[in-house]
Amino acid sequence: MPDWHRVAEEADLKPETPLGVRVGDTQIALVRLEDGIYAVSDVCTHEYALLSEGFCEDGRLECPLHQACFDIRTGKALTEPAEVDLATYPVKVEDGAVFVRV
Amino acid sequence: MARVVIVGAGQAGRRCAEALRDLDPEAEIVLLGEEPHPPYDRPPLSKAVLLGADPGNGLFVRAPEFYAARRIALRTGARVAAIEPAAGRVVTEAGERIGYDALVLATGARARRLAVPGAEDPRVLTLRTLDDAAALRARLLARPRVAVVGGGLIGLEVAAAACRLGCAVTVLEAAERLMARCVPPAVSDLVAALHRARGVTLHLGQALRAIEPRPGGLVLDAGAVRVEAELVVAGIGGVPNTTLAEAAGLAVRDGILTDAQGRSSAEGIYAAGEVARFPHPFLGRAARLESWQVAQNQPAAVARALCGEAAPYDEIPWLWTDQFDWNLQVLGDPDPAFELVRRPAGEGRATFLALDAGGRVRGAVLLNNGREATPCRRLIAAGKAVDRARLADPEVPLRQLA
Ligand SMILES: Cc1cc2nc3c(=O)[nH]c(=O)nc-3n(C[C@H](O)[C@H](O)[C@H](O)COP(=O)(O)OP(=O)(O)OC[C@H]3O[C@@H](n4cnc5c(N)ncnc54)[C@H](O)[C@@H]3O)c2cc1C
Ligand code: FES
Repeated sequence: MPDWHRVAEEADLKPETPLGVRVGDTQIALVRLEDGIYAVSDVCTHEYALLSEGFCEDGRLECPLHQACFDIRTGKALTEPAEVDLATYPVKVEDGAVFVRV
Repeated sequence: MARVVIVGAGQAGRRCAEALRDLDPEAEIVLLGEEPHPPYDRPPLSKAVLLGADPGNGLFVRAPEFYAARRIALRTGARVAAIEPAAGRVVTEAGERIGYDALVLATGARARRLAVPGAEDPRVLTLRTLDDAAALRARLLARPRVAVVGGGLIGLEVAAAACRLGCAVTVLEAAERLMARCVPPAVSDLVAALHRARGVTLHLGQALRAIEPRPGGLVLDAGAVRVEAELVVAGIGGVPNTTLAEAAGLAVRDGILTDAQGRSSAEGIYAAGEVARFPHPFLGRAARLESWQVAQNQPAAVARALCGEAAPYDEIPWLWTDQFDWNLQVLGDPDPAFELVRRPAGEGRATFLALDAGGRVRGAVLLNNGREATPCRRLIAAGKAVDRARLADPEVPLRQLA
């Protein structure tokens, strides 16, 4: 059963500046957009790169290795060379703490 | 477009077939490759594959069923021996004749062999194919002393992998610095420091003269230095596979000469990927580029040409290399003659920007800093003078300057 895990402080998340966090073996990228905080898998579905080290703009997260783009809200792979979507995780904020359900 | 035959089932051949299928649901597409494997991308060979790590989707990008599902008639183990342009057909090594309405040569390159005495020794290897990588890995697991000849991208990736596998590694490079063809001197120095810190011995400015067999080993003679090793890997560049094209009378000069969309000098014959030398809009000259990017995207421009669309290949050059835990990306044209501005980005990361005499960003090198690749690409594309102090200031986001 998925559970809520406290992974960051809300104040750590600057707009469009992804933050890499871990829940056990699961690597997650947290991103603050205008309409809230989102959580997607941090590992690019193409080869191996951490998306939290990538460029973020207009709700898209770009892989730092071969520049595949993903939609942060839906996890959708938008451009080559990635073709597999990212997993997304529910996020909630309570008393300034960010939780993801994994 | 009735039947398109693509010779060479590497990355460029695959990409051309895929792009053509997207544009034309009707075309008959035949993809002929001499290797026994379905198409794969080469970058993981000198990285994950040597290390025995999982390359993910980065090696065989497509599942085996993909080709049939997209109606791409992939034939592996099928080497084309000749082109008969007048008859509009190719002849395979097995003697089969296959007619075409259009032909795409995506034959890539092979590893350049060392031309010094002793280089034929079976302990002297090169790395180009998946089978080469498997053979090299098997040898590296015995932890020989390894001498890498050539301090370019592939040589250094092999050196890093061999070192990680526990081998004692020496690199011999004829030039005075590493990766001299693709990065400015300041970056070469950082790469040299990385390798030395991890225990790799570097001999720069040392051209190999001969390889001498010894009982149980080899001695590399580079004049001022002599290196003992049990295994030698030559990483001294690639030679384009142009024999077929030459025999068919196509214009060839270190690559098949094409226009900006892959059209060769012969009607109905095209070249895609690393084998093509084409006028590059950004570089302002004809170039044959050995990179994943060109193999990935130039063949799509060829597919558009096959469908009668005018849309030349026009990208800012980009390549990357992974050595130890470093990722280095090179964008545009960081010519050593340009002024280099260093933009710090925290521990172990930086962006280097190469400015021409007019203060315009023409190239960039990203050290563990892929985050800035897209803003750098925009700066380069903008082609206008930028303020050096602001470029060097990590507090100023690059995208504000583009
Ligand atoms: C070890 C290695 C590591 C690399 N790492 C990087 C990297 O990190 N970053 C980067 O940007 N680039 C890298 N590159 C460069 C990049 O992989 C190449 O530029 C790219 O593979 C070129 O693709 P291609 O399809 O044009 O040619 P190739 O990959 O050479 O494919 C051509 C294919 O055609 C086949 N062929 C040739 N002649 C015939 C014939 N007569 N009949 C049938 N088939 C034929 C060949 O067997 C081959 O399979 C690397 C290359 C190598 C070798
Ligand atoms: S690893 Fe992310 S695009 Fe290749």
